[in-house]
Amino acid sequence: MSSQISIQKRQSKTTRWLLAPGIIWMSLFLVVPILMIVYVSFWTQTTFNISPDPTLASWKQFFSSDTYTGSLWTTVRIWLIVLACTFVVGYPTALFVGLFVKSKTLSTVLLVICVIPFWTSFLIRVLAWRPMLGKEGAINIVLLKLGIIQQPIEVLLFTELSVIIGMTQIYCVFMVGPIAFMLSRIDRNIIEAARDLGAGFGRIFWKIIFPLSLPGVVVGAIFVSVMVLGEFATSGALSGRKVNLLGNIIVTQVGSLKWAMASVVGVILTVVMGIVIAGFLRIVDLKREL
Amino acid sequence: MDTSVFRLDGVTKRYGDLVALDNASLEAGANEYISFLGPSGSGKTTLLRVIAGFEAPEAGRVFFNGRDITNLPAHERGIGFVFQNFALFPHLTVIQNVGFGLTHGKSGLSAAEIERRSLEMIELVGLSGMEGRGVDQISGGQRQRVALARTLTMHPKLVLLDEPLGALDANLRSRMRTELRAIRERLGVTFVHVTGSENEALAMGDRVVVLDRGRIIQTGTPGEVYDSPASPDVAHFLNRFNLFDGNLSGGRFNGVFGSVPVPRSVRSDRDVYAVRYDRMRALPVSADAAGPAIKARFVASEYLGSSMMNFFEAEDGHVIEMEHHLSLGTPQTFEARQDYLLTWNPEQAIVFGREASR
Repeated sequence: MSSQISIQKRQSKTTRWLLAPGIIWMSLFLVVPILMIVYVSFWTQTTFNISPDPTLASWKQFFSSDTYTGSLWTTVRIWLIVLACTFVVGYPTALFVGLFVKSKTLSTVLLVICVIPFWTSFLIRVLAWRPMLGKEGAINIVLLKLGIIQQPIEVLLFTELSVIIGMTQIYCVFMVGPIAFMLSRIDRNIIEAARDLGAGFGRIFWKIIFPLSLPGVVVGAIFVSVMVLGEFATSGALSGRKVNLLGNIIVTQVGSLKWAMASVVGVILTVVMGIVIAGFLRIVDLKREL
Repeated sequence: MDTSVFRLDGVTKRYGDLVALDNASLEAGANEYISFLGPSGSGKTTLLRVIAGFEAPEAGRVFFNGRDITNLPAHERGIGFVFQNFALFPHLTVIQNVGFGLTHGKSGLSAAEIERRSLEMIELVGLSGMEGRGVDQISGGQRQRVALARTLTMHPKLVLLDEPLGALDANLRSRMRTELRAIRERLGVTFVHVTGSENEALAMGDRVVVLDRGRIIQTGTPGEVYDSPASPDVAHFLNRFNLFDGNLSGGRFNGVFGSVPVPRSVRSDRDVYAVRYDRMRALPVSADAAGPAIKARFVASEYLGSSMMNFFEAEDGHVIEMEHHLSLGTPQTFEARQDYLLTWNPEQAIVFGREASR
């Protein structure tokens, strides 16, 4: 009995040591900064100075300005569109890589190919869209040469469309990966069993394959959402400053030393992300699936 | 009239250079329990998958209910398949699994009728009251029943079971054996059961089909297969025979145990002398055996409840097994690492040879 207690004691001691680095790290670099941002958002901001006198001024300013609330809705809109695009492009890709490719080696190779763009830096990947989409860019030149269009398409670059195209390309792989993983874990026999029971491909997909891949969709959607909601570089580089996301506002506010306003936007962004993630986690019980 | 439920005609299947099935022909009647016995890689699962329609044979035809179904896709064959690992739909409940084929196939039944038939089948396999459970909340044996019920709701004329008891523990396995037979008899359909276990094949099959390296090497009732294996390989798979190499000539078999007269023998491509484990007798090493005898050292014994297995090692390293049925009296006790003289009645041996008398 006493030896059992001492084993328990030793185990709880080990547990504490194993937990310590994570807890210290997370508190110092996540919990404390978040609390700090919340705190600073109530500070008093003057043109060149900031003082810790509590005020709601920055919050009032955010919600009374069309620019700020507008950028909140732009962020939500772009996020929803990019999420839908990554899903529409990513799911069939994942279906091919994870389910239709029979060889494990080949499906790994295909996944690695999806990741190859990540070998170059994020900015290069974003900026590479400029020579692609521009008025004299690759797409317009090809379409003109083929005689499909007479005038170059101008809406391709420095519009919301270019931001959506760029983000979809950059974040698609985060959707493909988790879905392909879940699909590859589906026992091929159950698909054969469903077919043997007379279900057609459509039924098998909607009743078996899709429900079983749903945890992957949720994980992918969380990845994409978190990254898109916090985005500022793609919209900065591809929209010609026409699309202002919450991330862009933070960058400008910090640039002009408006710490209080930057904090307000930061808190709002954090809350939005929290709601989005909580919403996705309600769809499936990830603890049970993974 | 053709009374057979299904017939295989020279079915051949290759995977690259590997011949999985070599010219297999077989006929199965209605209302029969057939077991396919063979070691892994013998082609028994491939044969089952060809019948089910999951694999297409390179040559040969498959007939079902008098119709050539060789080119028919699996779901149009009306043949049920129970997978080795059950292949249940993990996100659905028991009743959703059982009713899947009726709900999502071409049955055209009303939801109420589907529920009635699913519940009826759930009751038949003894799972009443569990229909609302998720399939990950039930035990292995219960999952097996769900898999069976899911196939049976489609009213197949033929049910194929791929090592259905392989995933169960020993206790459950023997209970499911009886259960499977009972369910089959109630429905009056033909079951084809693939197994690597000779006990299972003999216990369950009305007919046993023995496969080796893609060929059907014997077909018969369990009694026929057990009492007169058609080849040394069959005798080997049955795991009931001590096999001795040697040579058969002029009506005598010459082996490590000396030269024995052979009254009759079975044609085979090699000369093998087979003696059933329970036909062996052990004598003190100094005794004078009347018939064939071989000197062997006692290694160990194993108590099996109804019988005792004794293991001996001959001088050439060959392990010889001797089974003593405990109903015949208390077993002999043997000294470890002592030599004994093993003998048997040559009348009871089965001899295979190139020079065969029948």
